[in-house]
Amino acid sequence: MTRGRIARRFAAMVSAALVTGASLVAAAGAPPAGAASTCPLDALKKAKGTVQITMWHSMPRANEQTLQKLTDQFNSSQSKVKVNLLNQVTYDDTFTKYKSGLSSGDLPDIVQLQDTDQAQMIDTRTVLPAAACAKADNYSFSAFLPRVLSYVSIKGTVYAMPFNTSGSVLFYNKNAFQKAGLDPTQPPTTLDEVRSDAQKLKDSGAVGGAPMGLKVDPGFFEQWLGFANQLFVNNSNGRQARATKAVFDNPTGRELFAWMSGMVKDGLAETNPDSGSSQYDNLLGIGNGNFAMAMDTSASLGTITQVLATGQYPNVSLGVGPMPGPEGKGGVHAQGGELFMVNKSSPAKQAAAWQFLKFLDTSASQVTWAIGTGYIPIVKSAAASPQMKDFWAQNPGYKVAFDQLLDGANTPATAGSVIGAYAAVKDAVRNAENSMFLQGTSPDAAVKKAASDSTAAMADYNQRVPAGAG
Amino acid sequence: MTAAISDDRVVSKSTRRKERGLALLFLAPSLLVFGVFVFYPLIHNAYLGFYRTPPFPGLPKTYVGLDQYKDVLTSSDFFDSLKTTVLFAVMTVPVGIALGLALAVLAHQQLRGIGIYRTFFSSTVATSVAVAAVIFGTLMNPQVGLLPWLGVNPHPPILQNPTWALPAVAVTTIWQTLGLTFILMSAGLQTVPDELLEAARVDGAGAWARFWHVTLPLLSPTIFFAVVIGTIFAFQTFGQIDLLTQGGPLNKTNVLTYFIYTELIQNSNEGKAAVLAIALFLLTLLLALAQIRFLERRVTYER
Amino acid sequence: MSVEAAGIGVGRGRRVAGKIARYALLTVLAIVVLFPIYITIVNSLLVPSAITSQPPKFFPTNPQWSSYSSAWDAGHMGEYLKNSFIVTILITVGQVVTAVLAGYAFAFLQFPFKRTLFVVFLATLMVPFEVTIVTNVTTVNDLGLFNTYWGLAVPFLATGFGAFLMRQAFLVLPQDLRDAAALDGYGHFRFLTRVAVPLARPAVAALTVFAFLAAWNQYLWPLLVTSGDSHRTVQIGLKQLRGLSIDQVNVTFAGAVIAVIPLVILLLVFQKQLVRGLTAGAVKG
Repeated sequence: MTRGRIARRFAAMVSAALVTGASLVAAAGAPPAGAASTCPLDALKKAKGTVQITMWHSMPRANEQTLQKLTDQFNSSQSKVKVNLLNQVTYDDTFTKYKSGLSSGDLPDIVQLQDTDQAQMIDTRTVLPAAACAKADNYSFSAFLPRVLSYVSIKGTVYAMPFNTSGSVLFYNKNAFQKAGLDPTQPPTTLDEVRSDAQKLKDSGAVGGAPMGLKVDPGFFEQWLGFANQLFVNNSNGRQARATKAVFDNPTGRELFAWMSGMVKDGLAETNPDSGSSQYDNLLGIGNGNFAMAMDTSASLGTITQVLATGQYPNVSLGVGPMPGPEGKGGVHAQGGELFMVNKSSPAKQAAAWQFLKFLDTSASQVTWAIGTGYIPIVKSAAASPQMKDFWAQNPGYKVAFDQLLDGANTPATAGSVIGAYAAVKDAVRNAENSMFLQGTSPDAAVKKAASDSTAAMADYNQRVPAGAG
Repeated sequence: MTAAISDDRVVSKSTRRKERGLALLFLAPSLLVFGVFVFYPLIHNAYLGFYRTPPFPGLPKTYVGLDQYKDVLTSSDFFDSLKTTVLFAVMTVPVGIALGLALAVLAHQQLRGIGIYRTFFSSTVATSVAVAAVIFGTLMNPQVGLLPWLGVNPHPPILQNPTWALPAVAVTTIWQTLGLTFILMSAGLQTVPDELLEAARVDGAGAWARFWHVTLPLLSPTIFFAVVIGTIFAFQTFGQIDLLTQGGPLNKTNVLTYFIYTELIQNSNEGKAAVLAIALFLLTLLLALAQIRFLERRVTYER
Repeated sequence: MSVEAAGIGVGRGRRVAGKIARYALLTVLAIVVLFPIYITIVNSLLVPSAITSQPPKFFPTNPQWSSYSSAWDAGHMGEYLKNSFIVTILITVGQVVTAVLAGYAFAFLQFPFKRTLFVVFLATLMVPFEVTIVTNVTTVNDLGLFNTYWGLAVPFLATGFGAFLMRQAFLVLPQDLRDAAALDGYGHFRFLTRVAVPLARPAVAALTVFAFLAAWNQYLWPLLVTSGDSHRTVQIGLKQLRGLSIDQVNVTFAGAVIAVIPLVILLLVFQKQLVRGLTAGAVKG
């Protein structure tokens, strides 16, 4: 039995090596694997009557209304394509239903998924890459912000069209800062500054609890590694070839874990989970005067502004700063969702889907989208438009997320990682962080365990992907 | 099973044949539904356990025989999850039944307006798991919840606390199933005839004695039902975990159903999820059989 | 008739004190049980910021009824409630009918493998939902029932829970009753419908309530097996409301209340069936 298992492991390693080798060759200069699919552009012209397509999304109500507005605009501007939106409630439920649809045949023509599901979606082998349609249509991706484009480029191919992009920012209470003798216009930009500011906030009694609300979100750790130009997983964060192991068990990783552990131990930060009923506690704590600062997604800004506008939290004057990091040099990830075309649809529908995606990423649409929802305008011309400039002048908080996307290098480290077993890897990191906070595990031991558990999860996933998946 | 359901009536051969035919007729609709929608998936699932499955349907799978069953069922993750599941059942079933019974007895009295109280006590059935979880999640929230405001504010907060998370979920579950247990026990109490209790009272039996010697035996079929069903349902608890703690903190609330869910939906590992599901199924089955064997003996039926 | 009233008289004062004590206990317990639901209703009428700030509010001094219309629209409640009703009634009727038949067979009929079959029925409750849900989506699709009311209902038309419940209820009825009825020329079917079911009415009522609830509260199955609003059910709408941001959390609570009202009405209606009275004496009589 053991010999059989060893033989199987060896075979798996060999095939993984072959696959990696093949992909490196592919990335080096051969035509990108994805573009082998062709985009049936002509099918739309040949189709008789209106082509109806379905798009699955999970935008909550306010954002859904803006999306519907854009969709209605598209539908009424021409008569070849009609788009029907279907809300599948959450990103996770959308993907669950999609996977279920792979067996039952109930699939959409476009599906909006979250950033971390990119690798799995590509592995389903049901994606019509945007790059294929761009090639056939002479469409250029150069209009997009560089790091946004990097985030959807895998092995040289753009599979999904970016759409709703956000980033992590630092929310803080200017009043508390002032009370502690800190300059409210200068939020901390490095982790060291965060710590020293927190110490001052604590000592001055400006807050009721620990000064920082620290959400236990593995994404923060990954982004900090990016700031320091460190990879999270190998093979260029999974962008050059399939990622096979975690590579963050290094001095930077250990420093980061030590920083988090120290903040909590010294009463300078309180943690809350990144899912469930307490996922907004870091923000609620600012409102209640318990915290003075917290990192969270820029997509929350709209909600926070509305909540503050009710006057229920008179002691809060909201400040938004860029996400602080190890060296403060920038490099925040583009996050959020992206749109995939499904290659199981009829050619006419695939072509129709491409038309809609192009529309959603035009300058005008992105302006409407960004102003209506608070997401970042991902097209350069949208960002330069007078409406956008106006909006930012009146709501400077929203500009922070945009600016920090331009700030910093454009490398695989800052593009974010592409991992099939992303959810399991996040679990590993999350559990390791929690073991530090709740069980007093040493940072070094925690990082080590996070890395080994992540690698094991990735190995398990990769072993199950049949050879030839690239 | 006991001799309480005695099948030793003397009947003629044709009656027996007719009864068998009738039984088939009466059982057929249920069995048809079960066959297609429960047992077929179960067998398919057991079969999947023998394969290392790809993350998505339509891609080839690898036969690994019993290796996957062995690997998964001997892993520490599985044992931890098993422990958590059993612990959760122990926390919820006895307390839940006792409370439901107590409330039912209290609401069974002849007082004016007792009907209103009955409605109140059964009201928790109206809340779905989702609603109960939202309510309790908010109650226990360290920033805005009622409990912290009242001073119950451990550090870390209840639902993030490795010691208190599971009991908190247990309390939510007990509350949510209280209405059901109450209704069940109330229905059972209906079968206890007044005359019997009166006779006992006239014979000088006190309230407790009446309860113990008259009510409880006649209630035993219902209690037996509640224990068996309650255990089965406790092992299937999923919604509260998903909404309150997501298996955390540190897997302290990672009951088997949640473990299965993570493996299937999050990690797209059909094979591993299948093994865990079969394990859960067999575990529940063995436990229920044990309960039936050892408990139904003590149940008194009217025959 | 109060147990105290019959029999030897105790001091009237003591009786009254005893009554007050009972009411007090009942009320305290009722408050404990009801409190979470009460808070839900209160929260549905507060302004969102009042819900997320401390100290918590226990009474809406300025009730915001608009949250209910928001919940109705945002949660597509009109359409979803209709769908939920249809599917739930299908499931409930199916479960009650199959359970009564099966329970009767286990209680009063003789047939081989009774023990095994009973365990089989019980075993259906032990199969984790993750096992059945994925395969059933495909099965329902293959049967051509995807995105239909029957498709939503068909896997749940029978349940081991119901059969077990009815079996227990029927087992309480003495065999003499059946024998006497047989002597009167009652076949099994007639005995079932004219004698057994009426006597087991509390259990049938309980089963109806349970079946209704379970069906009403389904989320993942309806999500997977419908496409589009036409057949979606109320829990999906409720979850969509939960996706609302913190500044609309009152709408979430309002949605929860809307989704719960039909169940409360059901409870009130069936409460009478669970009330003692007609059924109690008949067993011995």
